[in-house]
Amino acid sequence: MSQVNRRRFLKGSLATVGAGGVGLGAGLSAGGASAKPPDPQQQAQAVLADELATRTPFDGAHQSGILTPPQNQATVVALDSIAPNAQQLFEALQTLSGAARGFTQGEPVPIQEIDDPAPDSGILGAYDAPDALTVTIAFGASLFDGRYGLAKLKPRHLYPMPNFPNDDIDPTRSGGDVLVQVAANHRDTVVHTVRELLRLVAGRLTPRWTLDGFTSAQRGPTPRSSKRNLFAFRDGTGNPDVTDAALMNRLIWIQPNSGEPAWATGGTYQVVRTIRMHVEFWDRVGLLEQENMIGRYRVSGAPLGGTYEFEDPDYPSDPHGKRIPLTAHMRLANPRTPATADQRILRRGFNYHRGIDEAGDLDQGLIFIAYNQDINRQFDTIQRRLAPTEPMTDYITPVGGGYFFAPRGARGEPDWVGSGLSAV
Amino acid sequence: MDSHSSLPPLSRRPLPGRKWQLAALAALLAAVVLIGAALNPAGLLHGSKPFSVRSVQPDPLGTRLSKVYGTSTPARVYGTEIGDLEDLGENTQGQMISDLTPLPASAFIAPVHAYESYSETWLGHVQSDNVGLGAALSAGNVGAAKAAWMRTWADYLHLGAVYLEGPVATLNQEIDGSPGGLPGGTSSPQFTGLHRIEMGLWEGQSPRSLVRFSKQLSVNVAQLQRVVRTVSIPPLDYATRSHEILEDAQRDLMSGMDVPWSGEGVLGMAAGINATDEVLKTLSSILAPRDNVLGQAQGELSILQGAVNRVLREHHGQWPTLDQLTMSQHELLNGTLAGALGALEELPGALETVNIEEIPSIPATHK
Repeated sequence: MSQVNRRRFLKGSLATVGAGGVGLGAGLSAGGASAKPPDPQQQAQAVLADELATRTPFDGAHQSGILTPPQNQATVVALDSIAPNAQQLFEALQTLSGAARGFTQGEPVPIQEIDDPAPDSGILGAYDAPDALTVTIAFGASLFDGRYGLAKLKPRHLYPMPNFPNDDIDPTRSGGDVLVQVAANHRDTVVHTVRELLRLVAGRLTPRWTLDGFTSAQRGPTPRSSKRNLFAFRDGTGNPDVTDAALMNRLIWIQPNSGEPAWATGGTYQVVRTIRMHVEFWDRVGLLEQENMIGRYRVSGAPLGGTYEFEDPDYPSDPHGKRIPLTAHMRLANPRTPATADQRILRRGFNYHRGIDEAGDLDQGLIFIAYNQDINRQFDTIQRRLAPTEPMTDYITPVGGGYFFAPRGARGEPDWVGSGLSAV
Repeated sequence: MDSHSSLPPLSRRPLPGRKWQLAALAALLAAVVLIGAALNPAGLLHGSKPFSVRSVQPDPLGTRLSKVYGTSTPARVYGTEIGDLEDLGENTQGQMISDLTPLPASAFIAPVHAYESYSETWLGHVQSDNVGLGAALSAGNVGAAKAAWMRTWADYLHLGAVYLEGPVATLNQEIDGSPGGLPGGTSSPQFTGLHRIEMGLWEGQSPRSLVRFSKQLSVNVAQLQRVVRTVSIPPLDYATRSHEILEDAQRDLMSGMDVPWSGEGVLGMAAGINATDEVLKTLSSILAPRDNVLGQAQGELSILQGAVNRVLREHHGQWPTLDQLTMSQHELLNGTLAGALGALEELPGALETVNIEEIPSIPATHK
C-alpha cells in the first residue's frame, strides 16, 4: 500500500536532522553569532514534565477516547470520502491512524527544507506534546454503500440516525462517512490535531461538519463528581462503571460470535447528537421545576429526596413519583429495572458554544456522545421512552449528529483503525 | 392588512425597572431598605426584597393593610427578617416555600374565559381571511395569495401558544405545524397546514395546487372553533402562556426556523405581542396586587411594541422579512424582545396556585 502520509515520511527522513542539531533550521538560527538552537528533545523533556505530559495509548484492544475520562476540550469532525476507490480510502484511513498515533504519543516537530511548506503547522512549538490527546475514529452507515464494496462488512446495527419527535436535524450538520473525535486537555492541542489530520487526508476525505466542545472544570465536591452541562446539571451520573470489564463487555464492546462481522469485534456503536439547549428558556424556569424535570438537585446532583450524587434514587419506594416525577429525565432514561439494565449507555458528551443565532439567542448545547453495543437495544430504546414524554423536550432541539461505528483499536504500526475493512 | 390584523398600540406605562437592572445597586438598595425599615416598617411591606422595585415605589395600599396581600403574614410582623427569609425561599422553620400565598385556581376562571372569547374572535378572522386565501390561490394570483397567507397566518398566531394535549394539540399541528419531526419532513402527508401553503407559495409551486390545503385549513379551523370552548386550560398553563408565546416567537420566528420560506418572523412576533398583551389584560386584576410584575411586563412589552412600530414605519408600513431587516433593526427587535421576556418570566411565579411541598426523603433503609 502506497502511503500518503507525508508527516510520517518526513519524520523518518528528517529525524536525524532534529536530533543532530545541525539541520537547516539550526543553520538559519545560527545566522547570528550566538545561540545554539534549542534542542527539540530537551524542549520535549521540559514540556513532558508539565501538565501537557499525560499520554494516552492510541493502540490497544479498544480505541481510546471511549472509556477514557473526558478531557477538557474536544472537536468532532465528520468527513465524507471522496476517494475514487477503496484502496485510496484505506490509504487515507491508514494515514489518519498513523498521524493520530504520533500526535497522541508526542513527537518533535520535523524540520524541512526552508523553501518547502512546513510539514507541521507548528502551532504547538517545537514539540507536539501529547496533552492527554485521544483521536477516536468511527464510520457512518454511508461508508458501507455501494462505492467501495463494503456493504457486506457493514456492522449489523449501523443505520442512519432516525428523525425523532422534536428533532430538527440539519443535513449539513449530520451524518458523514467517517467521524473523528479529537479530545485533549487544551484547546490548542485539539485545534492543531484537527488541522494536521485534515491536511493529511485532503483529497481523500473532506470535512462535512464539525463542532467544538468542552467540559466544565472539575469543581467537586469530590474528584469523582460529574461535570455539568449547560443546563447546570451534572451529566453522566448514571454511567456504568467503566472499570468493570465484564460490564463493558455486556454494554459497550461488540463480542465475538454476536452476529456482527468478525472485524467489528472489539468495537462499539457511537451515537452523536448535537443538542441545542435553549438556555435562555431554561434560565426563565424556576429552579424547582428544573429539578423536577431532571429528577436531581442542581447543586449536588443528588436524586430528589437524597443527599449525594451517586445515591440510589430507590424508585420502588416512590411508585407514583411523589419524590421524583415519573416524567423526570433520569427516571425515563434509566428506570433501573432488571428489564432495562441492558439498555444502559455510556455517555461521554461535551458542552458546546457556537455563538448566537439570528434571534440573538446563544447557540449553546451538548455534543451528546454515547457508546453502546447495540443502538436499537440501547440508545434508540431510551430515546423512544424519552421523546414523547419528558418535559425537558421543550428546552432542547436536536439539530445534528449521526450514528457511527468505532472499530477496535489498532494493533500498533502499521495497523490502523478500520483495517478489518481492507480484508475484503 | 385589514383592520383586525393591525396592531393596536399598547398603552405606555412607566418602566419601573427590573431585577437585573437593579442588581448592580444591590448594596445601595439594601441600605435603603434597612433605613426604611428603621423609619417605617409598614413601608417595607413590599420592599422586603433588596432588589425589588417596590422598595423605591411603595404600594400606596401598603400602610393601610392589616394583612400583607399575597401572604398570610400579618402586616405588623412582616418585617425585614421574614422578608429576607422569603427571598431565600424558606420559612422560619427552614422549610422551602414560595414567596406569595397561592392563588385559588378559581381566580383563573374569568381570565381563561376571556381568553377563550378572544381566541374565538381570532379563529373567526382566520376563517374569513382563509376564504380570501383560497380565492387568490384558485385565481392563480401569487401576490394576492401571499398577502392573504400573511393575514391568515398572523390571525392564527394571535391565539398564542397551544400546549394542550388531545384534539387541540392535534389540530394545532395540522393548522400550524412545521415539518420538523415529521417522518419525511416536507414530503410528509401530514404536512398540510399554513406552512405547507407557505412553502408552496414561496417556492414557486402552482397556486392552484395549494387550494386543497386551504380547504383543509378551513375544515381544521372549524373543528378547532367547535372544541376550543370545551377544553380547560389549567392555571399553570395559562400563567406560563404569558411568557411562552413570545419565547416561541423568539425561538421559532425571529430565528427564521419556522418561517424558512417567507421569512415573516417579524409579522409573527407582532401577533405574539398582541396575544401576550391580551393574556396580561385578562390577568391584570389578579396580578396587580402581587409583586410588581404586571407593570414591569407591560412596560417592557410596550417598548417592544414601540420597536416593532418603528421598524414597520421604516419599511413604509410593509412587514419586513428577516432578511430585509438592517442590522440595527434586527438588534433592536431581538434586544427588546429579550427585555420583554426578562420581565414576563416573573409572571408565573406571581401566579402560583399551590404551595411548594417538601420533597420526601429517600428512605433511610435504602441509604
